Formats: sequence, C-alpha cells, structure tokens
Amino acid sequence: MDIDAILLSLKLAFWTMALILPFGIWVAHKLIKLNKSRPWLEAALALPLVLPPTVLGYYFLVAFGNTSIFGFPLVFSFPGILLASLIVNIPFAIQPIQRAFEAINPEIREAAQVSGLSNWQIFRLIELPLSWRGITGAAALTFAHTLGEFGVVLMVGGAIPNETKTASISIYDKVQSFDTSGAGAIALVLLGISLVCIALSYGIFGRYPNHRRGIN
Amino acid sequence: MLKVKISQNTPSPLQISLECAPGELHALVGPSGSGKTTALRTIAGLNIPSRGKIECNGEVWFEADDLGNKVQQLSPAERSCGFLFQQYALFPHLNALANVAISLHNSGLNASERKKVSLNLLDRMGIADLAGRLPHQLSGGQQQRVALARALARHPKVLLLDEPFSAIDAPTRQGLYKTLAELRTDLNIPMILVTHDLREADLLADRITVIDQGISLQTAAPQTLFQKPRNSRVAELVGIRNMFHGVFNAGKLTWDGCKQIFIVADKGKIPPKARVAWVIPQSGLSVHSNPTSASVPAVVEKMSGLGQIAVIQLRIQDSKNTIEWEASPAEVRRLGMEVGSQMYLELDGNQIHIMPLRPINDPRRFIDH
Repeated sequence: MDIDAILLSLKLAFWTMALILPFGIWVAHKLIKLNKSRPWLEAALALPLVLPPTVLGYYFLVAFGNTSIFGFPLVFSFPGILLASLIVNIPFAIQPIQRAFEAINPEIREAAQVSGLSNWQIFRLIELPLSWRGITGAAALTFAHTLGEFGVVLMVGGAIPNETKTASISIYDKVQSFDTSGAGAIALVLLGISLVCIALSYGIFGRYPNHRRGIN
Repeated sequence: MLKVKISQNTPSPLQISLECAPGELHALVGPSGSGKTTALRTIAGLNIPSRGKIECNGEVWFEADDLGNKVQQLSPAERSCGFLFQQYALFPHLNALANVAISLHNSGLNASERKKVSLNLLDRMGIADLAGRLPHQLSGGQQQRVALARALARHPKVLLLDEPFSAIDAPTRQGLYKTLAELRTDLNIPMILVTHDLREADLLADRITVIDQGISLQTAAPQTLFQKPRNSRVAELVGIRNMFHGVFNAGKLTWDGCKQIFIVADKGKIPPKARVAWVIPQSGLSVHSNPTSASVPAVVEKMSGLGQIAVIQLRIQDSKNTIEWEASPAEVRRLGMEVGSQMYLELDGNQIHIMPLRPINDPRRFIDH
C-alpha cells in the first residue's frame, strides 16, 4: 500500500481544513451582514462547486505558472496543491458555517448587545458556540473532500511522490498499471477515514449541539 | 427621568413622545403592528430613528436634528438598558447562571464575583436552585425570571419590558406581577412596559401611552384615559363601549338620532357646531323604573350576566342608539328588569366627555404634542 500517498493526503486535508476554517468563519460572518452585494458574492464563492475540476486546474496552472505572486513557482509543489485545495474548498467551508450563523435568532444577538457585550464578545461568546455544529460540519466536509480531491490536484501538482502524489492520484496510477488490489486498499482506507470524520461530525456535534457550559 | 421624542418615516412610521420618571411604570399599548415594540427597541438602541432625542438622567443616548444628522448615538451596550424580550432570548448554550453572569462580563468583576452576584439575582427571582439548568430545561415562567435577572444584572438605568406576560400561564403571571411590583419599589428606575392587554396596563401602570400606526395618541393615567380619551380613536383603542356621536354647540350636545340635549362642559377646544364623538362612564349612568325629569325612555334589549356584574343593553326609544349599563344582579332584580321592559335612563351631563371625530386613516391629526 502507498502509505506515503495516504500520509500526504492526510497532511493536505489537515492543512486545508486548518487554514480554511478561520477564513470560512470570517467570510460567513461578513456575508450574513451584507444585503445588496450578497447574492453576487455568494455566487462567486460557490463557483468552485460547479466548475469542472479540470477548468479550475487549468486556471491555477496558468495563474501559478513559472513565477507566482509568491515569487517562486507553485505548480508541481505541495504549497501549490494546498493553495488549489483551499480555493476548491471555499464553498464547502463557508456554506455550512453561514447557514449556522443565519440560524441564530436575531433576538439572541440583540439580547447580547443590550447585555453590554462588544461585537467581538458577541462573536466569541455567543455566535461561535452556537455555530459549533456548522463549523464542525465544514471541517469534516473540507477534510473529507480534500482527501478525495483528484482533478485539480493532478492538474496543478502532477504526481510527484512525497510532494504532490496524493492517495487519489495513487489510486489512479495503480488502476492504470492494473494494480487493482493496491488501488482497492488505498480506496478502502480513504473510504474509512471519510466515513469516520463525517460520523464524528454527525455523532458528536450533531446529536448534542448545545453542550452544557458553565460561567464565562 | 427618561425623555423620548423620536420620529422616523421608514421602515415603518414612528412618532413617539413620552417621559417616564424613576419608579414609574409606563405602559405602551396599542393594536398589533402599532409600533409599540419598535418604540421600545428604539429606546434600547436596537432601532435607530431618523430624528429626535432620547435622554436618560441627563445623559443623551441619541440625538439627531430635523435633517436627520446624528449628533449623538450610543450603542445598545453603552445605554445601560435592561431589556426583557417577549420570547426571553436566553442564550441557549449557557445555563441560567451563565446567562445572567454574561451581562457582567465587562463589569470589572472577576469570575467568582460575577458568579456570586448572578446567584444572588437568581435567588431574588426565586430560582437559585435552577442555576445549572439550560434554558430548554426551564419552564416559560422560569425562563422569564432568568431573563429578568439578566436584565437587572448590570444595574440598568431603564427597564424595558416587551410583552413580558404574553407567553406564560395565568398563575405564573400573577407571580410575575408581584415580582414586578416589588422591583418597581426597589429599583426606582423608569420602567416601560409594552402590552396589548389593556387590563394588564390598567392594573400595573402609572401612566399609559396609546400608540396607533406608530404615533403616540395620548399619554395619561389609566383612569383619565378611560374616562377622558383625547379622541374617538383612543376611545376605540381603549375599548370604551359607550361611545356615540353628536353635534356640539355652545355648551350643548345633541345626540345623533335622539331628541335629548345635554349641557356639557368642555375646554373651549371644540369649534362651534362641530360634529363630535362622546363617551360616558358607567358612573354617569343611572336607570330607573319610572320616568324622571331628565330621563330618556329606553327598552331592555339584551341582558347578560358576568358573575358579579350584569351587562344590560338598552335601546333608546325611537332611535337606533343602544347603551350598555353595568349593574349588580341585585340592582337588576330591584328594577324588575327583563328583556323588553321599559326603563328610564338618566345621563349625567357633567360626566360626558366630548372629543373630536377621527378623520379616516389620518391619526396624525392627533399627534401627542
């Protein structure tokens, strides 16, 4: 079994999740306060959902090119596939968090305001805990989705072992070389990890969304 | 002292003027959608009006000139209002104690002091033993008490109550009436109560402001409001049943559809030969079985008993006007009253209150200046 590819996929999924969640929370929180520009912004942020991965990959390839805004080439490197993965996962991170923020009764925010809390305190002490379910859902979705990402990663990163050859690409390579048992083993591992993270998200945070909390 | 004089045209029209002294309970009443909750939210800073001024104990919370330029605008957090929401708005992820303690987050107290103060407040509300429960584990009345404790935690300068009794059962309501009465004495701050229940406003409030279509029509003590409504719309809104129309000229009121003329005092505000609405309280009515010099013949049209009170509907002879008279069952028996009996109704002109008619769809004519 290609352990390196699985570890690389886990590393990519972890960093994608870790970097996109704060961004997702920030954007989702901004979005719920917008009025007129909101539909356009939402549409732009949802684009990765509907664009074919090869189209996205092509644009990344063109954009990252030989020199990128970072001063070094991003194609065929781990930072390159991480950046691509972050962009692809934007809708998966933002939408569940946005729905969770929207589900908070506006009176709860107003009650916090008249209780003397600042905007930051309202966000930290009220909105964030009440949106916990959406945030863990977003985390599970981005993690599982990144594990299985194929098209964009292949276009941007190629298949360099230990650098850009993720588990999905390894499965593809193995199928191409008729190593079906090797492909099946990695596929099973990916299936198991994805199932566990979705189940964790649903089971732990889904069933008991409101943990009993003590004094702040 | 809380002084409010605000107006806005959008999103819904609002033109409110009221004052509330420390220790006073001031009720805002009006039909659904009349703007009473918007008025309350405006005081708290949750709604920003276009023009006007909100001042509490000399501190200006909001001020905007006639052109809408904001001179002063404190945030809800800076206003120090205790706000009791209709649906409580407790933080669902925090237990009762933490719901109260969160109001003290910026008070300068440390966590154990905040806990102690919050526990004392819950104890005062009689629910200290429920401190560890989450809101969904509490009954409506208990949630209401937690919300009240939270509203009081910051030592507010004003207490704002938005329909606090609408979602709780009658026995719990009685308990909360008592708590509110005690708080009124203890806190000595202005308290504004929004309610659509006139009986409740009459029971609890020192003064009532009647609001209709976003405009405050009249502010008065409950008794004054029921006896001397400023105009026919106020009379309608406060549920006065014996309201009639007529023509007023030189101190004499002619009742539409009747020959009777009453000598009525007014403040000289009604122009000559003006069409007016008029009301008379129950204390201004007397019914006799025999005619008197000033009585009007009337026939008993309907009788209904309401426990200790019987409500008798009398039709004035040769007219379409009916008047409701409330009496004890003993009085009804003494008069030998039954449906169809001929009675003689006497109206005390001194207790008749005349007022201008309401122009259709234009309550603005009666803005409370």
